[in-house]
Amino acid sequence: MTALDLQALLPLVLTTATAIAVMIAVTITRRHGLAAWLCAAGLAAAIASIASARECAPRHISDLLVIDSFARFYSGLILAGSLVVAVLSYGYLKLRTDRHEEYYILLPLAAVGSLVIVCSANLLAFLLGLELLSICLFALIAYRRTGRGDLEAAVKYLILAGASSAFAVFGAALIYADRGSLAFGPPGLALSSPVALAGIAALLVGVGFKLALVPFHFWTPDVYQGAPAPIAGFIATVSKGAVFALALRYLSTENLLADGRIIWLLTAIAAASMLAGNLLALRQDNVKRMLAYSSIAHVGYLLIALLASASLGRPAAAIYLTAYFLASLGAFGVVGALSQPTRDADALADYRGLAWRRPFLAFTLTAMLLSLAGLPLTAGFVGKLSLVFSGVSSALWLLLSALVLGSVISIFYYLRLLAALFATPPASEPAISSPNTPWPTTAALLFLTVALLAIGLWPAPLLDLIQKMAVAAW
Amino acid sequence: MTPVGLQHYLVLAAVLFSAGLCTMVVKRNAIGILIGAELLLNAANINLLAFSKYSAGTLDGAILALFVIVLAAAEVAIALAIFLNFYSRFASVDVDRGDQMRG
Repeated sequence: MTALDLQALLPLVLTTATAIAVMIAVTITRRHGLAAWLCAAGLAAAIASIASARECAPRHISDLLVIDSFARFYSGLILAGSLVVAVLSYGYLKLRTDRHEEYYILLPLAAVGSLVIVCSANLLAFLLGLELLSICLFALIAYRRTGRGDLEAAVKYLILAGASSAFAVFGAALIYADRGSLAFGPPGLALSSPVALAGIAALLVGVGFKLALVPFHFWTPDVYQGAPAPIAGFIATVSKGAVFALALRYLSTENLLADGRIIWLLTAIAAASMLAGNLLALRQDNVKRMLAYSSIAHVGYLLIALLASASLGRPAAAIYLTAYFLASLGAFGVVGALSQPTRDADALADYRGLAWRRPFLAFTLTAMLLSLAGLPLTAGFVGKLSLVFSGVSSALWLLLSALVLGSVISIFYYLRLLAALFATPPASEPAISSPNTPWPTTAALLFLTVALLAIGLWPAPLLDLIQKMAVAAW
Repeated sequence: MTPVGLQHYLVLAAVLFSAGLCTMVVKRNAIGILIGAELLLNAANINLLAFSKYSAGTLDGAILALFVIVLAAAEVAIALAIFLNFYSRFASVDVDRGDQMRG
């Protein structure tokens, strides 16, 4: 290992060091503010270490990891997402548990797991990252232990994540049998052999679970409802984004899309996710469950970029994921900011007349929902537009019609929440009276809103960055 | 009598995997479900070691198996802590007790 390797690994090293630093600080003095600021500062330093890296040539670190510009872009996205979650969690936790500090150890560790997934060039590294992420998430979902559904959510996630990662390990074993190595990349898999095909299918169960694609989506609404709101945002964005980047890399290094059966399988999963996610979201009166179902649909949309040609698909995926990160984190951030110590603000009634009581939060949520719906002037529109372009160029007509149909349905339930926001407030006492928003939460929400609108109005800088970073071949 | 070969290991792993999957589906007791998950992981481990010895001839599989053992232990540690909390809330480790969320 050389100094350049270490420099390339700096984001991973700094994020791990953050977890260790918080751990040491907690043993010395238990102060919520200190732990939160250490965590946020460490994550910010890790982001800075990506931004300052000059060299863009791919670096292989042993057989396990590869740090290329693609990995750097998604690492930056993951770290920025984790940083926002850490800041939002500060205000959220302050009102709730009496043990805040361990949370800020688990959060950077979950981010390390996601970074390892994004940088992995080997099934061993991928499985390690996946498990590190899952194990931290079990504890984070159950963190409050006092809420109504958190233990239930943690048990559901634990059982299903355990089963799905066992499938992934089993799939890795079969792929290993076929090619004699766990590393990605050429020579491609001999997909004619049933062993390799079974391995890919088993691996797909593990990946599909984390992405909450349709046959594997049953845990999503329950876990989002039971988990603390910032952690629900983390699961919806960072964990999905990392696994999606891995899927993008794996499919193209193994050249799996050359096989018609895999294309059909992914097409069916994508169309089913878009339609089922949106249709199930229609029936929801619970805002967290609605966001959960809509996240299923959004990953379905993203699969279009996976199936499209690499030259248009990869930038489209990066743009769409960036927009989705901003809007989802913002929406869950507002849910967290409105929540009371005893329960999260997840009933539709909690949002009735919010625009008259808490105009800033209502405005933020409006921007996030419009972006999730893909309306113009928001980042979501730019994302959806590039997805459609990439789909048209590869003639994925079936998926594009599912996307259009899904988007039309989705506008209906997003508007339902928007209508509640701007409805006249009920004459009686508001259903929820939360204390004032702490300033870090306000700052994080303001940042997300500004970024969302800036990308929607003037996408050129982001598109340039993505062209430079997320497209490069590996 | 034929010597023990790759096929024997694969059959054993397949039987273990199916047993683990059945356990996870049928059991309502959280500890039982956890045992099922362990069976799944160990089935994968047997496969990895068998392929490492007989077909691939590299150590990658054996090393992954070593990591999987550690990961399984970490998962069990967290799982038992969560089940302990679940027990103190619901006075049972029957996972069907946690059914507040629907829809």
